Amino acid sequence: MGWYNKRLAKSIWVFHVSASPCNNCDIEILDLLTPRYDLERFGIKLVGSIRHADVLLVSGIFNQKVGPRVQQIYQQAPKPCFVVGIGTCPASGCCFKDSYNISKNIKDIIPINLYIPGCPPKPENMIAGIVKLVEVLNA
Amino acid sequence: MSMVNNIPVGPFHPLLEEAEYFNIVVDGETVVDIDMDIGWMHRGHEFISEQKSFTQSIYLVERICGICSTSHPIACVHAFEDVDNIEIPERAAYIRSLVGELERIHSHLLWFGLAGHFIGYDTVWMWAWKYREPILQMFEIISGNRNHYGMMRIGGVAKDVDPARIPEMMKILDMVDDKMNMIIKVAKDDPVLRSRLKGVGVLTHKDAVELCAVGPTARASGVNTDVRQDEPNDAYGWVKFDVPVLPNGDVYDKFVVRALEIIESTKICRQCLEKLATVKGPILNNVKHISAGEGLGRYEAPRGEVFHFIKTDGTNRPIRHKVRAPSFNNIPTYVASCKGIPLADALITLASVDPCYCCTERSLKVVDINRDPFQIDLLKLSREKTQQIRSKIHE
Amino acid sequence: MPENEFFAAMGDKIGKTIEKKLRYYFEVKNEDLHDVVNYIFNTMGCRLSTATATELYGGIEVLYHFSHDATGTYYCPRIIMKDKKKPQMKSITPIVRGAEWIEREMAEMFGIDFDGHPRKEPLLTRNNPTVEKLPLRLRRIS
Repeated sequence: MGWYNKRLAKSIWVFHVSASPCNNCDIEILDLLTPRYDLERFGIKLVGSIRHADVLLVSGIFNQKVGPRVQQIYQQAPKPCFVVGIGTCPASGCCFKDSYNISKNIKDIIPINLYIPGCPPKPENMIAGIVKLVEVLNA
Repeated sequence: MSMVNNIPVGPFHPLLEEAEYFNIVVDGETVVDIDMDIGWMHRGHEFISEQKSFTQSIYLVERICGICSTSHPIACVHAFEDVDNIEIPERAAYIRSLVGELERIHSHLLWFGLAGHFIGYDTVWMWAWKYREPILQMFEIISGNRNHYGMMRIGGVAKDVDPARIPEMMKILDMVDDKMNMIIKVAKDDPVLRSRLKGVGVLTHKDAVELCAVGPTARASGVNTDVRQDEPNDAYGWVKFDVPVLPNGDVYDKFVVRALEIIESTKICRQCLEKLATVKGPILNNVKHISAGEGLGRYEAPRGEVFHFIKTDGTNRPIRHKVRAPSFNNIPTYVASCKGIPLADALITLASVDPCYCCTERSLKVVDINRDPFQIDLLKLSREKTQQIRSKIHE
Repeated sequence: MPENEFFAAMGDKIGKTIEKKLRYYFEVKNEDLHDVVNYIFNTMGCRLSTATATELYGGIEVLYHFSHDATGTYYCPRIIMKDKKKPQMKSITPIVRGAEWIEREMAEMFGIDFDGHPRKEPLLTRNNPTVEKLPLRLRRIS
C-alpha cells in the first residue's frame, strides 16, 4: 500500500462522523475550515459523502443506537481508509463511561488509527495530529 | 393525482436529547407532516449525575452541549443555590453574566454562519465564523480554554478576570458591534436573502404558546419570554438591556431577533467589564454543605430557557437531577411551522430553531419510500432555489 | 396577587404546600389534576417548563413545573403514585400540547402509564433494542 498511501497524503479528503458527541469537537472541526485556520491550503477538504473520503474524523462516545450506523458508514468507505478519533470521548469515554447507553467496546465497531485527545482539542492540536498522519503515510 | 412520499432525513445529528432523524412526508413538493426519531445522542446525563458529587456534576453538565457549554452549568449552580438560598459575591455575579453573554454572541454568530451555508451563501458562513474567532479568544483570556470554560462553582466562579486585560476585550466588543451592524444591513438590503427568509416557516403566536416554545423561537413569534428579565439573578438586575420581540414568526424574524440580541449582549458585556474594573472582592463563597430539599434553577441560554431541577437528601449527591435543554421544547414546533411549505424551504425552517445543525447537513438526502433511484440532496435543492432567485433579480 | 387568587380558586384541591422564594410546590390528587392544570395554563397564562419524575421509597412522584413569566414564579403541582409496579396517572397533553414529548420521556424512563396520551411510544430509546428498559429506575429495582 506504500505507493497508494503516498498519493493519498498529498490531498486528504476527510468525512466527519459525529457519534454522540457533545458537539464541541464538531464545531472545532468546522472551525478548521474557516478563515482563521483554513485547512484547505494543505489540500485537506471536508467532503459530503463517505464514498469520497480517505480519512474519517469520529467524535463522541458511540451510544448503542448510533454504533451500528457508524459501522455501516465505515463499511461503505473505500479502503484504505484511516480513522482519526477526535477528543477524549473515543479514547476513554470521558465522563460518560458510567452511562447505560454507551457502547462498551469501540474497537469492535470501528478501528481507530490515531487519537487526538483533549476536551475539546484545540484546532492547532488537530492540525498537528493530521500532520502526523501524513508523515506516517509518507514513510 | 397526489402522491404522498416519505423522506427520511438523517440520522446523524449531535446533541443530547435532540432530534436527528426526520421522516418528512411530502405530497409533490409540499411538506405534509414531519415525524422525528430522536435518541441518537442520548448519553444518560441524568443517570450519571445521580452517581456524582455536586462539584463533579457541574463538570458533567458542561458536556451536555458544546455550544451552550456555560448555560447548563449556570442553570445547574442556580438550582443548587436555590436549595439553600446561597448568595454569591458581587464580582462573581458580573463574571457569570459576562461569560454567559459572550457565549450568546458566539452561539448566534455560529448560527448565522450555518444558516447562510444552508441557503447557499457561503460568504455569510465565512464572515460570521471569522468574527466569531475573537470571541473565542476572549474566552481564552478569561478562562484559558476556547470551549468548555469550567468557570462555574456553587457560590461563585472559579477564575477571576484580570483587570489589565479589560481594554483589550473592549476593543474586540467594538469590532463585533461594527460587524454586526454591517451584517444586519446586508440582511435587510439583500433582496435574495429577503425573498428566501421572509414569510417562510411561520410559527404563529398561538402555536408558540401552546407548544411552550422558548427563547428566540418564541420571541420571534411575539411571545415576550426571557429568563433574564423574568427572574433577574446574577448581574441581570443591575445592568440595562432590552429584549427584542418581533411579531411575525417567520425565519426572517428569527434571524433579526438573534442579530439584535447580539447587539444587546455586547451592551451587557461592556457594562459588566466596566464594573469588573472597579468592583473588588472575593469571587467564591465557601459552601460546605447543601441540605435536603428541592432546588430549581434556570438560565436564558442562546436557544432559550435551560431548566435544571435538583432533589437532594443531605448527602453530597443529588437523588434526582432533571435537565431540560431549550431545544427539547423548540423542536416540536417544526410540525407546526413546516406544514404546507415547499421542500426546498424545509431545511432553513428546521435550521431556524437553531438545533445545532453543525455537522449533519451533509447526510441529509431524499429517498422515496419504495427505494426508487429518486435521490435528491436537500442542501442542493435549497441552494438551487437561491441561485434561481438570484439570477431572476439580476436580469 | 395571582398566587393568592390561584390558591383561593382551587381551595381544597391543593394538598400539602411547600412555599419558597418565588416557588410553590403543592400536592394535587390525580382526579383534580386536569382542573388545576387548566386553571394554571389557560386562566393564568403560565408556560409549562417541564416535568420531573422521581422514584422515592414510598412511590413515584411527578412534579410539573409551570412558569408564570410576568412574576417569575414557579407553580409545581406534585402527583404521588403509591403503586410502584404499575404507576398510572392522567396525561395533561390534551390541555397542554407541549407536554407530549415531556410525558413520553417520563413514560420510557420510569414506566409511568399516562392515561389519555395521544402517542404512547418511547422517545429517546425508540428503535434502540439493546438499551436497558426503565434506565432511571435500574439501581432501585435491583
